[in-house]
Amino acid sequence: MPLVETVDLYRKYDGQDILKNINLKVDKGEVFALIGPTGAGKTTLLRLIDLLEMPTSGKIYFAGRDAAKSSKVRFQMRRRMAFVLQKPVVFNASIYDNIACGLKWRGVKKNNIRQRVGAILEMIGLSAYQDRNARTLSGGEAQRVAIARAVVTEPEVLLLDEPTANLDPLSVAKIEELITGIIHRYGTTIIMATHDMPQGQRLAGRIGVLINGKILQAGDPREVFASPRSREVAEFVGVDNIIDGIVVSAEEGMVGVDIGGNKIIEAISPYPVGEEVSACVRPEDITLTPSKTTSSARNAFSGQIIGAVSLGPLSRIEIDCGFRLVALVTRRSAEELALEKRKQVYATFKATAVHVLRRN
Amino acid sequence: MTELWEGLVTAVKLIISLDPEVMEIAGRSLAISATSSAIAALICLPLGAVISFNNFPGKRTLINIVQTLFSLPTVAVGLFVFVLFSSAGPVGGLGIIFTPTVMVIGQVILISPIMLGLTISALSGVDKAITDTAISLGASGFQMAVTVLREARFAVLAGLIMGFGRAISEVGLSMMVGGNIRGFTRTITTAISLETSKGDLELSLALGIILIALALVINLALNRIQQR
Amino acid sequence: MKRNIVVSILAGLIVIGLLAGMVGCAPTAPPSEAQYPLHDPLVRFRIATTTSLYDTGLWYHLEPIFEELANVEMDIIYAGTGIALEYGRRGDVDAIIVHDRAREDEFIEEGYGINRRNFAYNFFLIAGPDSDPAGIMGSTATEAFEKIYDGGINDPDTVKFVSRGDDSGTHAKEKLIWSQAGFDYEEVRNSGKWYVEAGKGMGPTLLMADEMQSYVLADISTFLAYNLKSGLGIAPVVEEDPIFLNVYAAIAINPERYPKTKIDIANKLINWLISPEVQGIIGTYGEAEYGRSLFFPIAGCDMPGCPPVEDYTLPVPEYTAE
Repeated sequence: MPLVETVDLYRKYDGQDILKNINLKVDKGEVFALIGPTGAGKTTLLRLIDLLEMPTSGKIYFAGRDAAKSSKVRFQMRRRMAFVLQKPVVFNASIYDNIACGLKWRGVKKNNIRQRVGAILEMIGLSAYQDRNARTLSGGEAQRVAIARAVVTEPEVLLLDEPTANLDPLSVAKIEELITGIIHRYGTTIIMATHDMPQGQRLAGRIGVLINGKILQAGDPREVFASPRSREVAEFVGVDNIIDGIVVSAEEGMVGVDIGGNKIIEAISPYPVGEEVSACVRPEDITLTPSKTTSSARNAFSGQIIGAVSLGPLSRIEIDCGFRLVALVTRRSAEELALEKRKQVYATFKATAVHVLRRN
Repeated sequence: MTELWEGLVTAVKLIISLDPEVMEIAGRSLAISATSSAIAALICLPLGAVISFNNFPGKRTLINIVQTLFSLPTVAVGLFVFVLFSSAGPVGGLGIIFTPTVMVIGQVILISPIMLGLTISALSGVDKAITDTAISLGASGFQMAVTVLREARFAVLAGLIMGFGRAISEVGLSMMVGGNIRGFTRTITTAISLETSKGDLELSLALGIILIALALVINLALNRIQQR
Repeated sequence: MKRNIVVSILAGLIVIGLLAGMVGCAPTAPPSEAQYPLHDPLVRFRIATTTSLYDTGLWYHLEPIFEELANVEMDIIYAGTGIALEYGRRGDVDAIIVHDRAREDEFIEEGYGINRRNFAYNFFLIAGPDSDPAGIMGSTATEAFEKIYDGGINDPDTVKFVSRGDDSGTHAKEKLIWSQAGFDYEEVRNSGKWYVEAGKGMGPTLLMADEMQSYVLADISTFLAYNLKSGLGIAPVVEEDPIFLNVYAAIAINPERYPKTKIDIANKLINWLISPEVQGIIGTYGEAEYGRSLFFPIAGCDMPGCPPVEDYTLPVPEYTAE
């Protein structure tokens, strides 16, 4: 039995559909990441799961029980969950009092509180500041306090809404470390919303892609990233190359996709001839060479560099091969190969790197 | 000008010599207004929380009415309370007309709209995220209300101070329902009214200065707490 | 924690309130010999009194004596005859002290009051500016009012009249004089800005008349008291006229109407007021400061308009409920 389950969940605001037909199952001990662009409905879904709002239609089950039963039932369920909001929210009180409030409200004894809060303070590294007013903290510190405050109540489900949005990279790393620590120490079931895909990939065992209020794909992170099931998911998970074409040859699982201009992309796919498809290639799977090389890659196209942008340790190269290709190479490679505008290059990628999507 | 100066001199003399009648009147003003403020606070803080955190049809209208009642004229409230508690009135059986008790009741009615309205506005000023956080952390309705009241304590206290200020400075109600009885229901404000009409401006001014001083001291004390 | 501080402040305020309240209610006198058997020392006895008796300080003088005698706390409410009668009709007081025979009779006939006794009298007078712009010196009361009216209509800036305007006994007397002079009171009220309605007690009205240098109908006791205290710039102009007789009465509220009335104390008060001892006090009150007493004990009343002897010599009977 899943710990949290939603069935045909719909949520409307002022006539607008925010969430449509959400069917989600999260098992005990899972770490589930909900990824999607801003405004997709991630916060709303988390709020519904935490029973802060009621759905327009559909059902929510917690540990097998229907949350719609009564507000008393919901109150009990809420006490077994904890929610950390996107914006770090701390009460105008000391750090200790902030973290302790959930325990106080549950009537935990003072000594017990002191013990548990002390332990958590250690974990977030703020023991020395426990009497300081929480309002004086930086964003990152406040978020750590907020997470500690949620975790100290030992919830069965921890809901995190974009916990590292608005934070600097160092704070992001600290928080991710904290979350991982929580997962290891308490084995809490975690449902987190994030628009940072690599973060989702790093922390989660399973990912759900929420776009425009619908969960378009859910599953193993690698699978979602490498084999998006729709164009929208593909675009969101960073597949920069989505090339439309028609299958013109299909033999032993290998297909040739005619993308126009007499160019064929070879890929592994079960689709038959005549199927209208899109060929998806992740930019990091494309290799660039100055001249035609003998490589085992089945796809090789020559083209002219029309754009080269440095992204820190990586470089994003845009090439016109008669169709647009985007490649992601290390900056070192870019420098060594002198990849700059108007240079002629060869872009190669394996057939196994191509993921074929049925169009529409 | 000389009158003002003489008033100030008389005020100082009365205070320093701890003139018994003046002390008694001042003590009574303070006692009645402090009690009515405390009772009004005990009613309005929880009521304000209940109204603030719940949605119900007519909530907007209710809040508008409360705000309109801010400017209740004291004589009007006084008249209303008098007619209620007079022996010939509906609640006359209690026999509390012309006593400090009915003055407290009247003042509670007078200042409750202010306290209620300002409490509601203070609570609405608190970020919704705080309410959500508290609820998600498992706070019961009551626990959540206390948390939000604490977050808004600065603004809430301001409302309490305003209420007290209105109570201690009103004349019309105290006069009507208290009767300005010497030794029993005379307050600083009703005494000023009486002394002025009798032509003893010096004493009136002195009482006025004492009243202002009293209000200042109380305000200062409450402000200190507010700052913490 | 902040919450504890706020709670303790509130608690502190309530405690202060209660303590102060208790102080206010503490008995002012130890139980005296003449302990009234039916009441405990903390009984509050409430009367409404006409303003002249208050403004002259007579009640200030009499209150502690009666409180000790009857072992009660006396609450004296300052009210013109009109309001006093209203309080009486509502049962908010135990006894009233007023001075308007016509309305007193009505009050008793309607069943609100019993045991009326007269206990003192004095005289009204018309006071005005030294210059006497309306030339009323030497006139009778009605003649004076006529002249003031004419003067006021023609020259409202110089000739003015300040009325009590509050339905008091004095105001009732003023209306009587107007009607005897052949005027319609409503017409007089609205005839011009020379006629000012003060809406105040006797003392404050005198001050207003002084301020405005106008004519005013006042009782002599309050006039003397205020003249001594504040030095009035107006002086008595017309004093001799039988219509100026002003008799004070004390009436108890009828317990059949309002069972909670402290009728035994009210009776005690009335009997005390007509007792020789208090009559003596009334006869000498003010002599030292003013050279004459401010009020006259009722026994000396021997002119037309004085009440019959029974109205001030018969002690009131003890009340027995049916």
